[in-house]
Amino acid sequence: MRYFLRRAGFFLATLWAAVTLNFLIPRLQPGDPAEAIVSRLSGQSQAIDPAQVEAIRRMLGTPDGNLLTQYGDYLAAVVRGDFGISYTYFPYSVTHMIAAGLPWTVVLVGVTQILSFVIGTLLGAWAAYRRNSRVDSVITLGSSFIGTLPFFWLALVLIYVFAITLNWFPSGGGYGGGSNPGWNWLFFSDAFQHSVLPALSLLIVGPIGWIIGMRNNMVQTLGEDYARLARAKGLSRRRIALTYGARIAVLPNVTGFAIALGGILGGTVLVEAIFNYPGLGRMMLEAVANRDYPLMQALFLFITVGVLIANLVADLLYGVLDPRVRREEAG
Amino acid sequence: MKRPIILRTAAVAVSATLVLAGCTGTSGTNGSGGTGTGAANGLIDYLDYGDFGGGTAPQANYNPYLEATRLGAVDYVFEKLMVYDNFSCTPKPWLATEFSWTDPKTLTFKLRDGVQWNDGKPFTSKDVAFTFDLLKKHQPLDTKGVWRYLTSVEAPDAQTVTIKFKEPGASTFTLVTDVFVVPEHVWSQQADPVKFVNAQNPVGTGPMKVKNFNPNQLTIERNPDYWQADKVKVQEIRFHKADSGGAVEQLKLSRGEYDTNAMFVPDIKKAFVDRDPEHNHYWYPPGGSISVYLNLTKAPFDDVAFRKALTTAFDRDQIITKAQLGYVKAASQSGLVVPGQEKWLPAGLKDQGRISYDAAATDAALTAAGYKKDAQGKRLGKDGKPLSFTFKVPGSYTDWVSAAQIIVQNLKAQGFDVNLETPNPPTYESDRAIGRYDVLFGVHGGSCNMFRNFSEPLGSDQSAAIGQKAASNFVRWNDPGTDKLLEELRLATTDEAQKTAVAGLTKVMVDQVPMIPLWYGAKWFQYQTDKATGWPDEKNPYAAPGDNVLVLTNLKPAGS
Repeated sequence: MRYFLRRAGFFLATLWAAVTLNFLIPRLQPGDPAEAIVSRLSGQSQAIDPAQVEAIRRMLGTPDGNLLTQYGDYLAAVVRGDFGISYTYFPYSVTHMIAAGLPWTVVLVGVTQILSFVIGTLLGAWAAYRRNSRVDSVITLGSSFIGTLPFFWLALVLIYVFAITLNWFPSGGGYGGGSNPGWNWLFFSDAFQHSVLPALSLLIVGPIGWIIGMRNNMVQTLGEDYARLARAKGLSRRRIALTYGARIAVLPNVTGFAIALGGILGGTVLVEAIFNYPGLGRMMLEAVANRDYPLMQALFLFITVGVLIANLVADLLYGVLDPRVRREEAG
Repeated sequence: MKRPIILRTAAVAVSATLVLAGCTGTSGTNGSGGTGTGAANGLIDYLDYGDFGGGTAPQANYNPYLEATRLGAVDYVFEKLMVYDNFSCTPKPWLATEFSWTDPKTLTFKLRDGVQWNDGKPFTSKDVAFTFDLLKKHQPLDTKGVWRYLTSVEAPDAQTVTIKFKEPGASTFTLVTDVFVVPEHVWSQQADPVKFVNAQNPVGTGPMKVKNFNPNQLTIERNPDYWQADKVKVQEIRFHKADSGGAVEQLKLSRGEYDTNAMFVPDIKKAFVDRDPEHNHYWYPPGGSISVYLNLTKAPFDDVAFRKALTTAFDRDQIITKAQLGYVKAASQSGLVVPGQEKWLPAGLKDQGRISYDAAATDAALTAAGYKKDAQGKRLGKDGKPLSFTFKVPGSYTDWVSAAQIIVQNLKAQGFDVNLETPNPPTYESDRAIGRYDVLFGVHGGSCNMFRNFSEPLGSDQSAAIGQKAASNFVRWNDPGTDKLLEELRLATTDEAQKTAVAGLTKVMVDQVPMIPLWYGAKWFQYQTDKATGWPDEKNPYAAPGDNVLVLTNLKPAGS
């Protein structure tokens, strides 16, 4: 029990720090949102109209008052779940914008994360089961090699081959212009087509961490005394590998997976930027570029809270899965 | 958990045989599809245009005053009293058929007869008066700041609008006519017009109506009740959300997927024109001046002789061919955009104020002004110490960076010790505004309002102390003579008086060199003539590329 309470306390302290940093960091950046907006509108070769900057400043109601008052207002708003109005999408609220982007990211990254975890764990287990065979070397060397390739390069190769050369899939976007988002078959098939390449790129690199982790853990567990004892008792190799090796080896991976799920929102900036996918990652990139404080704050908050909760869950899960942890903490 | 978990994964079969209706970006050059009604009555079925604004996840927003977030349809739904041809800067009668100055502070517009809002209600002077009052009540909507200059806007009768100015108003004519007019019967119902997105069938007087919107495509269709519907030969315009990658967009352009676009393309001839020389064209008319800004609060930049010497130091031709790919023209020292604004040039200005590269002349002039070279060839200040300074340029503006590299070379050749710094754009803009720099690029002028063109970069009221944000006078030019000329220009009531004041200001530019113009920023504009002809071009520059309604009302089906 004490273990769980300590974890929860740690969680709350980190949450407060995250919320506070989240407030401070955007405000320490140089640049003024109104000017950023106008210079983006005018482009780099047009003179900026000061009257327009002034009007946009008024429109956004760029915060005044000292930092402390702003901080108080911000905390109160966060508690209420009110994140204000986005600068980039004025007058639409931040909540509205996040609701628009969230499904895309959750579906794309959620599905690929789960698939990556499953594929990675199975491949890793297989490699460990057939350790030092040809299968093992192909899996481990292959994944190490792919792991060294830069992700954006892989993604661009996919676009070049499948979208531009073969023209099998669209090169970017979440869906084409010909279908309106809604609950209809046309839109779903369109959205599915658009999701293939980004999903593929995530599935190529996603399993690597799980493969390596799983293989090494399992090789270790299979070398433990209890596995040797099981072999001496005459249990089949397969049974030993599954119940004595894989089951224990998967523990660290399970907690890692919980953390990975928490990082869903943050981990997609690159893939969404490359494939121009209409999710939260791309939105975050845009919010940062446009000095869109309200949107930025809400997204960062989402991400940090997601990671924190996932960490908490992982900690608690580990405590449940592995009694040794609880005992160490107590002792 | 005694038994191992067996995880079953659903195998996802990717069938490449899914046939999709709608455009997934493979074709887009032939005029089939669409409504099919267009071609029958001498109209172009549809045209594919480029991006429609609104960020990467656009939301429906047709509030014409929310310039930062509104969508591109606004230009076609709402109209103004006068429409400017921004190439030659001539106003064309639009919602107003004529205007007259009753006295220097009173401007009267006569409105066009028979104009209707696209919901069938008549358009009257009350709508115009309401529109101006709306901007007065809700300052964030007044993006041109017209109420800085106005006292009242009234509608004495249904066809007349009277605008009263605080001071003689000729210099603000372009701002007053540049206001989109909105219908009173819709906008008076809104509790907060600043947050009104006008998403459902926006009501305007313009040539097009919104037909369909999703974040990837915005479609607008012809308004059959438009007051000059006979001039609108296009049934539909489809705007396509640009992918974030410029490379993909360029590919689409060269494949012929856009009837018109406005993007930067590294090698337009090879990538676009050569694909179909008969139909693929581009025209890049000049915009504002891109100039070397010297921080005038620092030595040696505060010395007019030093600045004058530098006017010949930069190899503009090399910048144009190498950094700007030959798309732009060298800028005149006068601060005007030539040849478009040549009627404002004072008589006797050599080569319209263009200055050619002459390193030897710079060297001689610097030496004569007391900036000698030492034995190692280092250029010394008047205090005998070597001169060194930094040149800042936003690292992500690649074409500016290559221009800056040429400039730094030119300066090094004169014996200066120059360092190139490449901050990110926001840092750059903030440094420029508060005056934390030695030398960098600035953009000024290029609009049709002469008062803006000169007051923004040169007016002392647009400047600020170092460390404070200047509105637009980033060089900190602070000169009573200039301010006096600007005041004369602002209050001028006759063309003659305006011309005299502008001539005086060009003289300030040429004689005192507050900044050194290098080239005119290009307005990117590509178009295809396989479906529509009548686009503005160099031979027939009836409008600038961004004058959307003017362009639309000049388009005709190809072959007609």
